[in-house]
Amino acid sequence: MKGYRDYFLKKLAWFVVTVVVAFTLNFILPRLMPGDPVAAIVARMAQGMSNATGVQAVYEQYTELFATDQPLLNQYVIYLRNVLNGDFGYSISQYPRTVADVISASIWWTIALQFPAIIVGWIVGNTLGALAAYLRKGFDKVLLPVSLFLSNLPAFGMATILLVIFAVNLRWFPTSGGYDYAMVPSASWEFVWSVIVHYQLPFWSIVLITIGGQAIGMRSMAIYELNADYVKYARFLGIKDSKIIRYVFRNAMLPQITGLALSIGTMVSGALVAEIIFSYPGLGSTTLSAVLGGDYPLISATTLIITFMALIAFFALEILYGLIDPRIKAAQSG
Amino acid sequence: MAKTVLEVRELTTRYITRFRESIYAVDHVSLKVDEGRSLGIAGESGCGKSTLALSLMGYYFPPLYYTSGQIIVDERNITGMDPDDVRKTILGNEVSYIPQAAMNALNPTRRVINFIEDVIQAHRPETTKREIYDMARERFELLGLPPEVLEKFPVELSGGMKQRTVIATSVILSPKVLVADEPSSALDVTSQKMVIKMVMDLMEKGIIKALVFITHELPLLYNVTDDIMVMYAGQVVERGTAQETVFDPIHPYTRALMGSIIVPEAGLRGVKLAAIPGTPPNLKRPPSGCRFAERCKYAMPECRAASVDLHETKAGRAYRCIIPEEDLRRLYKNEQ
Ligand SMILES: Nc1ncnc2c1ncn2[C@@H]1O[C@H](COP(=O)(O)OP(=O)(O)OP(=O)(O)O)[C@@H](O)[C@H]1O
Ligand SMILES: [Mg+2]
Repeated sequence: MKGYRDYFLKKLAWFVVTVVVAFTLNFILPRLMPGDPVAAIVARMAQGMSNATGVQAVYEQYTELFATDQPLLNQYVIYLRNVLNGDFGYSISQYPRTVADVISASIWWTIALQFPAIIVGWIVGNTLGALAAYLRKGFDKVLLPVSLFLSNLPAFGMATILLVIFAVNLRWFPTSGGYDYAMVPSASWEFVWSVIVHYQLPFWSIVLITIGGQAIGMRSMAIYELNADYVKYARFLGIKDSKIIRYVFRNAMLPQITGLALSIGTMVSGALVAEIIFSYPGLGSTTLSAVLGGDYPLISATTLIITFMALIAFFALEILYGLIDPRIKAAQSG
Repeated sequence: MAKTVLEVRELTTRYITRFRESIYAVDHVSLKVDEGRSLGIAGESGCGKSTLALSLMGYYFPPLYYTSGQIIVDERNITGMDPDDVRKTILGNEVSYIPQAAMNALNPTRRVINFIEDVIQAHRPETTKREIYDMARERFELLGLPPEVLEKFPVELSGGMKQRTVIATSVILSPKVLVADEPSSALDVTSQKMVIKMVMDLMEKGIIKALVFITHELPLLYNVTDDIMVMYAGQVVERGTAQETVFDPIHPYTRALMGSIIVPEAGLRGVKLAAIPGTPPNLKRPPSGCRFAERCKYAMPECRAASVDLHETKAGRAYRCIIPEEDLRRLYKNEQ
């Protein structure tokens, strides 16, 4: 187990370093803006604001948040403390809501949409790919072109097709939103039903694309593994096919876990297209409107979240790989 | 008379390619290995040695297909047996195998002991883990392998160690016959020696009763096996004891083969003679006459006329040539 501990510590050290770098960049970038960053932010913000006391309040709030009157090191400490407290200041485009408020209102929509979609797409895609590799023949002949089509369709293409067919033409599902805009969010059955109905099209648009990509990847990995020398050897030692198939799919699945971690880690940008086309109230659309509206504090906070999600996903991935795939550990320890 | 452990009669198998072409890589091959004896099979790359190794175990899967002939293992004809039965009762249990690519023969994500467990349980499902571990440990120790290897993943082992692990795993159930397909070819000289010694030990220690050892280096066999069979383009071209075949070859191909290889023997070291000119025939469309005629120094027009039979000599040897043994010897003598 010593080998694994070393591996873990090495990966942990790298994780900490990358987190610190990402964090520091997030700290430095606004401060590289020419002139007083606070003045610049507030000036942009004040464009749409008529009340002078509001502007003044925002200015003070940001001076305190950025602590520009203090030495850089103190600023860094204050920034760190603010981030740990979830205090990112006010959103410019949605003033007077705070950034934390805007994000916490939208991030769950994204997670609730993407997480199940990725998992379902991954499981279904990998199962289909494995079956295609094992059965070949007719099943493969159908699955391969369909998967190629699905995975090569741009995300907006898939979302648009579903939208046109099921929302516009068939009218089975609504065209946009996370729930019926006439409703007030509550714990009622009507509201839950509305959420479920609105959920379907964005969900399936992500699931279908994920299935296509995963099925193709799994199919070729499994075909490769099925032809590996260890399969032949195991057969000629009399081991049953049902057991050998298990070796094969386990080995073929290992690289596929990278795809899973990648999708989970980049969930926010992955959901962007579906969220925009279906006007889904998630973090993706929030980020987009923040960028379009020059909402600096919101951009900064979402960037930090997106970066951290990716870093955590990759860290978790490497830790997991070290445990389940002896090849990785052996390669790392040389 | 010694008991025959493995007998193959006129076995023919073929590959069927994606383009529906047949490649007869094993063409009416017969062989016999008695208890306590070892048979070496030599020939150039592509002559069908590996295919013969796979074919004589009696279990086929695409693209390799059985065509005709008989395989008799310990007085039991396994040719007509249900493939699942062959797999359960013969493979790994009565006839075992060391593949040519032994380096990649182990599943990289399975510990050696777990793989051995799978092998044993495939044949003796009632064996407990404890018994399996004891069996494996004992066998590894007997063969001079450290038992710690059992707990390792194949990636954690060196090339030579992986090879030896594969050998030990192949004979875990003490099969009657072991078919070793170039077990030492991919290794450095030191590991080669170790592996060859290990394979010979299997016979000496009584773990296996008979050995089939395949190599493309004919001279190597002289030190390893009792008998030798030389293959060319899917057919047997010469058969005899190792001594006779190496030092007194009958068939022009065997003779050429002896001269085309760097001989690792002291004295002969470094004497590299020219490789046999020309290339073996395409097995998709083998020539109708003698298959070696194209490259044979002594070929005559008659050689290409009709297929050539394997002739048995009085001394119990066999060769596939239309020129009689004595005439061939005279031809060889005149050359010197
Ligand atoms: N899977 C396959 N499909 C079609 N043809 C094959 C296949 N495997 C081998 N062959 C053909 O069968 C013939 C014999 O191949 P085989 O591997 O038995 O030769 P070999 O004597 O073991 O050669 P080597 O010394 O290189 O291992 C070759 O002509 C080869 O092209
Ligand atoms: Mg071979």
